[in-house]
Amino acid sequence: MTQRILCLAALALAIVLLAAGSPVVVSGQLLAYQDGFVFFTTGDGFHVAPNIAIRDAKTGGPTTIKPAPRIWARATFDPSGTVTELDLSHSPLPPQGNFADVAHFAVALSSPVPNPDLLKNIQTPGPGESAVASQTFSGRPVLVTFIVQVPPYTPFTSSIYITTDQSGWNAQAIPMDRVDALHYQITRRFNSGTIFRYLYDRGSLQSQEVAQNGLTRPPRSFVVADADVLTRRDTVYAWQDSGPGSVNQPQPQIMPTPYNPAPFPNLPISVPPPQPQPPPGRPPGY
Amino acid sequence: MSVTLAAFMLFLARAAAHAATPGPSPTPTSVAPQASAAPTPQSTAAPTPQSTAPPPRTLVYLSAKNIDFYYNRFLIEADGNVTVRTSDGFTVTGDAFSMDLKLNRFMVAGNVTLHDSTGTVSGAAISDFLDFRRIYFVPVTSAPDRWTFLDGDLAHPAKGRVMPGDAFYFPLVSEHPSITGTGAVIGTNTYVRFTNARTYFLNAGVPLGSYVVNFSPNQFFAQNTLSGATVDLTWNVAGNTNSLSAVHLRYDPTYHTYLSFEQHFVGDHEYAIFSVNPTTRAEKWWNLALYEKLGSRFQISSFTQYYSQQNFLQAPRAAQQTTFLNATYALPHSYLTATSQLTNYNTLGPGSLEVPDALGGSLNHPSQAQITATSFANKIPGLPIFEQIYEGYGFNHDSVGAGQYLNGFPGFWPEGGRTFAPIPVPGLQAYGAPCQVQPSKVFTYYCPVYTTIWNTVFGFNLYTQSLKLNHPENPYQTYYFNASYNKQYQWNSLPHWINSDNVNFSINRAFSRSLNVYVAYQILNVGDHYIHGGYLPCANVGTPLCPLSFTSFRGVSTQRTTSLGINEAPHPEFNFSLLVRHHDDFPIPVPGLFGLPPNNIIGQPLYTSYLGQAPYDATGEVRVKILSHALLDVSRTFYWYGNPYRTTFWQPSFVVQVLPI
Repeated sequence: MTQRILCLAALALAIVLLAAGSPVVVSGQLLAYQDGFVFFTTGDGFHVAPNIAIRDAKTGGPTTIKPAPRIWARATFDPSGTVTELDLSHSPLPPQGNFADVAHFAVALSSPVPNPDLLKNIQTPGPGESAVASQTFSGRPVLVTFIVQVPPYTPFTSSIYITTDQSGWNAQAIPMDRVDALHYQITRRFNSGTIFRYLYDRGSLQSQEVAQNGLTRPPRSFVVADADVLTRRDTVYAWQDSGPGSVNQPQPQIMPTPYNPAPFPNLPISVPPPQPQPPPGRPPGY
Repeated sequence: MSVTLAAFMLFLARAAAHAATPGPSPTPTSVAPQASAAPTPQSTAAPTPQSTAPPPRTLVYLSAKNIDFYYNRFLIEADGNVTVRTSDGFTVTGDAFSMDLKLNRFMVAGNVTLHDSTGTVSGAAISDFLDFRRIYFVPVTSAPDRWTFLDGDLAHPAKGRVMPGDAFYFPLVSEHPSITGTGAVIGTNTYVRFTNARTYFLNAGVPLGSYVVNFSPNQFFAQNTLSGATVDLTWNVAGNTNSLSAVHLRYDPTYHTYLSFEQHFVGDHEYAIFSVNPTTRAEKWWNLALYEKLGSRFQISSFTQYYSQQNFLQAPRAAQQTTFLNATYALPHSYLTATSQLTNYNTLGPGSLEVPDALGGSLNHPSQAQITATSFANKIPGLPIFEQIYEGYGFNHDSVGAGQYLNGFPGFWPEGGRTFAPIPVPGLQAYGAPCQVQPSKVFTYYCPVYTTIWNTVFGFNLYTQSLKLNHPENPYQTYYFNASYNKQYQWNSLPHWINSDNVNFSINRAFSRSLNVYVAYQILNVGDHYIHGGYLPCANVGTPLCPLSFTSFRGVSTQRTTSLGINEAPHPEFNFSLLVRHHDDFPIPVPGLFGLPPNNIIGQPLYTSYLGQAPYDATGEVRVKILSHALLDVSRTFYWYGNPYRTTFWQPSFVVQVLPI
């Protein structure tokens, strides 16, 4: 009986010891491996055992991959917080463990101090202050439809484009389609969180939109929020090259001859120029 | 030209001032919008500190064994012997570098050394949040630690501060880099200039040497002075925050394959853009665009185009110049615009053109000026209608008349042929009776010729926004109605006035998110009226140049256009559109009677409405994304006549464009 009790006690003790010393495993991306420490992209550095085992994460065997920045690793910690094994891979590893569980193993000379910059985001706004936005974005693809109302004197077959800082302000970056007498439309896919500036134009230097007061306008700014679809509606008040009543400017490489302001430039040569009175022999008004 | 020169000098002075004193940086993005073309995948990342005052622009000089740039995400990733030197006064070396150009922050990791005037510290990683003036550093002295440098003070780190959760994150990139190199100069928030750069086409490396990626928020970089082209491959050779130099390899149906060059100088309130296009053809167009905004209400701009026909930079055989000047002054509910155009159709002077003698080309300098007041668009109370009025005053001066210049009269005779007088002045300026003494037996000359014509313009616009015609539950069954009306009078100093009416109606419906259909009807009425006399009927009735239907034309035209437009965009990377139009015009279009409008350089007609247009036309256009940053746009228009000319139709060539996106 006593012998049996001793065996059970020894078994229980072994279980307890094994449980207490079971290795902790986390996976993540390496930031650095130097000076006897391994650093993950959390910024935490951990002691490395002198005889650390470095293996291939997929095969479990030897590897030629060396621990370095950008390498993905599965780290095994011993009970003292020392990393005893690193399984390496060039591609992301399945998530395993939690860095919060090993944070107390991280080595740092200084004690943690709250960061006032970060606290601003969770503080209750004071009187007269607006809450600090803390929205984050998933980066999911979002269909964004741009609908723009153009001036009524826009030529019917004009091509309308969106120029953005995302495309180096290329004047023909996003061509649009006419949907009625006053509106053009286009749908594009953007990742949520994308922020960009844009303007409408008719494809060239002279044909960019201007503000309602006729001056060059600053670009519009747009932040793509998380949504399945978004619609952006804008109004163009005037074009730089064709305001109402202004003189149209020709495109580059067209030598203009606007000094003879007749409304029908392509009349047949059989039509004589307008004359103050009919030639002799014809009745007035003929 | 002196005005243009003065404006250019003014611009240079301003640009110099801006160069000496860095301008304010664009407002840094706040925490909420991740200012990136592709936001970080760590949506649970700890919030970053709030930005305060706009930081000064920083230059980051990067060298590494290999530098990769990902255009679609504006990421720079570098590995091997990384050295980073910044204009903020410190140098960092390490194993790996990562920078998100839109978030405007970079990181160096692995065997890092931080060196500044106070000394050198080793560490595991350093991350610089440039917009927020915070540097997060993991030093390794006797053991790792966490230091935060505040506002550029590297001498007094805040030790132990909690850092943002994503301070040392590497972005995941799986695609092929757009550009690789071994060096880069990064002007924060504006540009990157790569050295030893290569780009890739079908996975083949194309050496570029130096290449600049411009992502400045300054929209003046959008300004360009090049004409359209079927294909334009742009090599940004050099550039910085205020400039960009580009070589363009282009193709168009007119000049085929050629090289062009364009130079931008851009400031916060001004720009100067110069180009020569094509540089490798005898026909060269030298363009200069200048712009300056003075204060908050006034801006002035100019565009000068100089045409020369010359081999390389040899003495030109022909040269012409046109300058446009524009000035705008903003008022509280309206604005004033002054425009002017100065032309010199022969800058080479007497004797510069070809045979037979020393009086080649016209040496006259026609000019034009107009000042216009335009109101804002205002909603009429109680009506769903907006109104806008405008009035202008100006003149056109031309002592010779259009058509004389490009021909170079009187030096355009066939070599050795008999000399004759210039062609008669056409159009308005020839308003007069036949001259008593006719210099030619071939043409009829009219006297007097009016060299300066003053004009007064008054007009107004009325238009509606989209009006719902029904209110079904399904929004895709809704019909919308739009209408616009323009009326304009132009009184000339001759006893002559032009009035025009332009009415547009349209009804449209979106059948689905991808399919949109509209029907439009337009009436354009133009009357060219003379108090005394005016248009005469054409002569030789019944001949091809004077069909019976044309004999009643007295200077008033009516063009009625019915349009059916269909747009189908099943996918953001694919669009198809079809536009079918029927024109019911007077004068009746007769094939071969009226001149067709000239095409632009890629084959599209310059005018969209003109006498003699074919009664039917149909335009199809397909746009498809062919590369990550390129769109192929193919369109073609068919024209045809109904009875009795139903066998007459024509189909100009395809218009093909590759558009960078």
